[in-house]
Amino acid sequence: MDRHFDEELQKVKKNLLEMASLVEESITKALEALKKKDLKMASEIKEIDHRIDRFEIAIEDQCIELIARHQPVGTDLRFLIGVIKMNNDMERMGDHAVNIAGSVAFLIEQPRIKPVSNIWSMASEVKEMLKDSVKSFMDNDAKKAQQVCARDNVVDEMRDETIRILLTYMLEQPDKIGSAIPLLLVAKNLERIADLTTNICEDVIYIAQARVIKHHAEEEKG
Amino acid sequence: MIVETSHLNLYYGSFHALKDIDLSIKENLITGIIGPSGCGKSTLLRVFNRMNDLIRGVRITGAVLIDREDIHSPVCDLILLRKKVGMVFQRPNAFPLSIFDNIAYGPRIWSITDKKTLRDIVERSLAAVDLFDALKNRLKESALSLSAEKQQRLCIARLLAVEPEILLMDEPCSSLDPIATGKIEELMLVLKRKYTIIIVTHNMQQAARIADEVGFMLLGELIEFNSTKKIFTNPSDRRTFDYISGRFG
Ligand SMILES: Nc1ncnc2c1ncn2[C@@H]1O[C@H](COP(=O)(O)OP(=O)(O)OP(=O)(O)O)[C@@H](O)[C@H]1O
Ligand SMILES: [Mg+2]
Repeated sequence: MDRHFDEELQKVKKNLLEMASLVEESITKALEALKKKDLKMASEIKEIDHRIDRFEIAIEDQCIELIARHQPVGTDLRFLIGVIKMNNDMERMGDHAVNIAGSVAFLIEQPRIKPVSNIWSMASEVKEMLKDSVKSFMDNDAKKAQQVCARDNVVDEMRDETIRILLTYMLEQPDKIGSAIPLLLVAKNLERIADLTTNICEDVIYIAQARVIKHHAEEEKG
Repeated sequence: MIVETSHLNLYYGSFHALKDIDLSIKENLITGIIGPSGCGKSTLLRVFNRMNDLIRGVRITGAVLIDREDIHSPVCDLILLRKKVGMVFQRPNAFPLSIFDNIAYGPRIWSITDKKTLRDIVERSLAAVDLFDALKNRLKESALSLSAEKQQRLCIARLLAVEPEILLMDEPCSSLDPIATGKIEELMLVLKRKYTIIIVTHNMQQAARIADEVGFMLLGELIEFNSTKKIFTNPSDRRTFDYISGRFG
């Protein structure tokens, strides 16, 4: 039987996917602005972020209303709880994109330095992770979600390496500190975005299989 | 506003059953009336098509407007009112007639006798409640042979046959199991596109699921009338919250 409620759940899903594509757009654009040192492009991120914020409020509202009115159980309940959490995580990703765009202003007068290439490889890994996590949500694909989580370590290592290189740079060439610090912050923000994509994947797994994998909960249960 | 009451009071003899009710019901919405047993839900619903007139000793004060017309005014045509405002009851009350004759009953009262017209009305009404395909070859069979859910659908189809505007439903699902209830609820969500539905229900989850606006009654008073979302996420009155959260009732 196709239920009216199922249509409502689909609407929630559609909204979250729309929000996710705004988040992707925002991150991509922030990185592009960084690459081109394009202040005008960087300033556009704020506008996208406002739209993301509006989505967050609307989606949360929708979820609360559906829970209050339909008293969902089982997978429907997990879906709505999962969406509330993902919604929150995506909004935070949007904030990280704003931070990245904010670094552009500090880099504008600074000479280009070499470790910036580490940032680009980190960025492309993080964007892939985000894309795959959104796809795993779209397809309710726990297996894919699990694979994305495994990639978080790669990003952590990339961040550590980037920080190490940047620190060495600053020690050896103090005149490049002005270029290096904004990049440190970008690396930090990218790593946080990667963490948040793994949160999304954990929620996808929770929705699909009712398993909690965060904080290695299953291993502890043993 | 398709239905409006102001300072509506109803007395059964000396018993004050509805107290100063001000209510506005919008067109093409489902309005739910909830509240504990005996609070006056059915009484209020019966006001809207003047079914209380059939009960001796009832006295009503205040105004009830339907389509801006005062239904208690002497010029109000009671037969027309009951055509415009149909009622579905708790137990399906199919007549002991054929399926066809159940639906054709109302139109025949309105002097429609042309066979083709009647057939069209029966087909359209059954289709509107999603019964036509299932029953098109059984129209001559007794309506009482149908399951409870199908009988309830048939009763709704019988109302639709006389082209009402407002459907009053008094606990239309209380004799049905959860699956059948779900089907009737889905039907209501389809019907509201064309009709205004006012449903009384003991089952506040049902009101939460399908109603657009909800009124909460207590001891003859309308305590709160708000959007369903508001009622179930942040009601204005403490008593509404106590009731919907199961703290009393
Ligand atoms: N014909 C009547 N004569 C006298 N009192 C009546 C009559 N019908 C109802 N009442 C009283 O009016 C009050 C409201 O009754 P009503 O049937 O409208 O309540 P309700 O909210 O529909 O209750 P329930 O949920 O049990 O159906 C009750 O106290 C009831 O006893
Ligand atoms: Mg009643």
